[in-house]
Amino acid sequence: MSAPRGQQPATVTLAGDDLARDSATLEALWRDCPGFWGWLTAVDHKSIGKRYIITAFLMFLAGGIEAALMRAQLARPENTLLGPDQYNQIFTTHGTTMMFLFAVPMMTAMGIYFVPLMVGARSIAFPRLNAFGYWTYLVGVVFLYVCLFANTGPDAGWFAYTPLSGPAYSPGHRVDVWAQLVTFTEIAALAAAVNVIVTTFKMRAPGMSLNRIPLFVWAQLVVAFMIVFAMPAVATGSTLMLAADRAVNTHWFNAAEGGDALLWQHIFWFFGHPEVYIIFLPALGFVTPIVETFSRRKVVGYTALVLANITTAFFAFGLWVHHMFATPIPELGQSLFTAASMLIAIPTGVQIFCWIATMWSGRLRLATPLLFVLGFIFTFVNGGITGVMLASVAFDKQAHDTFFVVAHLHYVLVGGAVMPLFGAFYYWFPKITGRLLGETLGKWHFWLFLIGVNVAFFPMHVLGLNGMPRRVYTYLAATGWGPLNLVASLGATTIALSVLLFVINAVWSWMGGAPAGADPWGSSGLEWAAASPAPSYNFLHIPVVTSRHPLWDPIAERPVVTGLSTTRREVLITTTFDARPDSLHQHPDASIWPLYLALCMGVTFIGSIFTPYLVLVGLALSLIGIAGWGWTGTRASGPERVATPRPVTEGL
Amino acid sequence: MKALRTEFDVSELPTVTFGHRSLMWWGTLGFMVIEGWTIALLVASYFYLRQNYEAWPPLRTPYPRLLIPTINLAIMLVSFVPVYRAAVAAKRLDEAAVKRWLVASSVIALPILMLRWWELWAINTRWDTNAYGSAAWVIVGFHTSLLLLDIADTWGLTLFYFLKKMPLKAFSDTADNSFYWYFTVGIWIPIYLIVYVGPRVF
Repeated sequence: MSAPRGQQPATVTLAGDDLARDSATLEALWRDCPGFWGWLTAVDHKSIGKRYIITAFLMFLAGGIEAALMRAQLARPENTLLGPDQYNQIFTTHGTTMMFLFAVPMMTAMGIYFVPLMVGARSIAFPRLNAFGYWTYLVGVVFLYVCLFANTGPDAGWFAYTPLSGPAYSPGHRVDVWAQLVTFTEIAALAAAVNVIVTTFKMRAPGMSLNRIPLFVWAQLVVAFMIVFAMPAVATGSTLMLAADRAVNTHWFNAAEGGDALLWQHIFWFFGHPEVYIIFLPALGFVTPIVETFSRRKVVGYTALVLANITTAFFAFGLWVHHMFATPIPELGQSLFTAASMLIAIPTGVQIFCWIATMWSGRLRLATPLLFVLGFIFTFVNGGITGVMLASVAFDKQAHDTFFVVAHLHYVLVGGAVMPLFGAFYYWFPKITGRLLGETLGKWHFWLFLIGVNVAFFPMHVLGLNGMPRRVYTYLAATGWGPLNLVASLGATTIALSVLLFVINAVWSWMGGAPAGADPWGSSGLEWAAASPAPSYNFLHIPVVTSRHPLWDPIAERPVVTGLSTTRREVLITTTFDARPDSLHQHPDASIWPLYLALCMGVTFIGSIFTPYLVLVGLALSLIGIAGWGWTGTRASGPERVATPRPVTEGL
Repeated sequence: MKALRTEFDVSELPTVTFGHRSLMWWGTLGFMVIEGWTIALLVASYFYLRQNYEAWPPLRTPYPRLLIPTINLAIMLVSFVPVYRAAVAAKRLDEAAVKRWLVASSVIALPILMLRWWELWAINTRWDTNAYGSAAWVIVGFHTSLLLLDIADTWGLTLFYFLKKMPLKAFSDTADNSFYWYFTVGIWIPIYLIVYVGPRVF
């Protein structure tokens, strides 16, 4: 539907008054309702994304407090701050919180907030599904922490190995809490993944063909596919198997009746290892635009970076057994998974070298976001090296279940995901709030965090090699582990201090930081073409993309799309490969049904712990919700035009 | 003052599309992949547990009964007809035919749902007898949840068509509803073969 051939496309020069009028019209059309009701019914992807980010960050703080409690307990031998039962609950809740309630939701939240902005869309593909995902996640958050404070916190570790987590060895409801919590977060992650995939496939601005998609969006897209294939595994394991074994006496993991405890490990790690990359790949998506912007040049090896992302995702599904080397796995299987575990270092290495080459050949500006990226490269590479060590079966059998593994996974996850995330906060905070974060406090935050992470986690390598097992609530002085544990605890204190500085910086800057303007860093991505914070409709005119770095294109007239409705919420649908304008889609208004349906999910899954009848109640209530959702979803305002069939030869 | 050039005027683009041109089709496909993959994982686990037994079903465990599941499979295959015709009518924007075939789809869903109850018991081993029974029940039970969702969707859509003036875009929803039905029935075929016929073969 391009401008008529042979004619010069119309050039429009808009005066300030016209812009203000159009903006006001679209704002009235797209904004969520005001007040508390509006908060409950919101569907704007930015409102939902912001809530997700804040909730997930609060979970990071909660998980951090649990870590601090553990480090306080382990700071000296035979400490009595926490008893063994409390310690079990705390370490399980720490791992569960950090993996399921902080890391995955935070990474998907960044996608929910930024993918539509980066692809030049007015909204996300399924706004109500998006809101439903958030509310479901929130139900899980509240559920876990209410149970923890009621002394019913899960206590079988964040991967809840059977038979320990089965009905025979974990009576009561603690493991049930874990199993259902996982269900909530999986539903939320899957809803977000489908949203990101469809938004990226069908809602890109015209001209943004597959080879022009920003690397942040590529990372989110690849991760969304990983979520689609990984999360069903843990949902299957936790809800359809473990919870069923515990609630209705199935025998999936009961060896006496032909079940198999190792099946749990296979199912869990088939999810659990890709999970690491689900957390880590979005972080790599943060790194590229930060490196580009602060090196003031286009990234080296765009195609290599995209292929590395995809390759990593494929390999990530082929190494789960390296978590199980201490179980009876056939030798051929061990060799295969060792090889795969080492192989995955290659695409990761490709990415690291692309970024180093970009920085090497660019003009560096050492602002806080870039500092965090440099910290990431240093810390993550260390974690990667111990990962290659652990891929060797002989070494793994010595280090298995020791603090060496704790050191490795924290280097990888804190270095590989949290550091880029902090960099991303500094980089995109202005887009979310309209204000810059303070640089001085930011640099203090960075240095304290970098030092704290290394002081906290490096000694754990040595502790592990000296034989200290993970998940022990105390140890004897005669082991000689006291001094290094004290050092690790001092490192944890430093991390806590640095995070406190960040919180102060964030609150302070949000209240009264320096105004950022639309593009404070001179970046190249489309999100910076929108105002800061972005209005509810994202873009007054949908941009037309002419390169991978649209804001760095030296063009006098910005090509745009016109003709979208100003009286109904309309989004532009484009073709999957080439992003040619194809159709218009009417987006839904604000709705209470996502919240209602999420609460019904709460009744269903939490109820299932106590009696199967509550499942029926929850499902019956859900049917009302689905009907209400469908009824309000089948409304159309304004004229409708039906597409004529298009030849298949025109492609997707 | 900003100079903007209109590259595309999209005001006349269609607002109702079918198949891969529609957002909802992609969303439906996404959930089909998730649900299909869940079933694949359950089936893989079923065969993983199979290795723990000399015989399958385990000794003193009866074979699943075949009569009811086979009848229900036949009805499900027949159900393709009204569901397909509803999709064809939707693409022709023929509201009367859509209503007719949606009613037919809703009616044929009823015996499928009722027979499913006996179909579960046709496994012939309770879920709490042994791991074989657990795996078979969970696979069929999970599929039942998909079936329930799909039937609820079909009944809801049919009801809406009779309760209010539906917009043209509901034709696209009708086609997507059929798309999901093909999946629900299509994936049942391997499940039927594995859970009901398989124990006599493996």
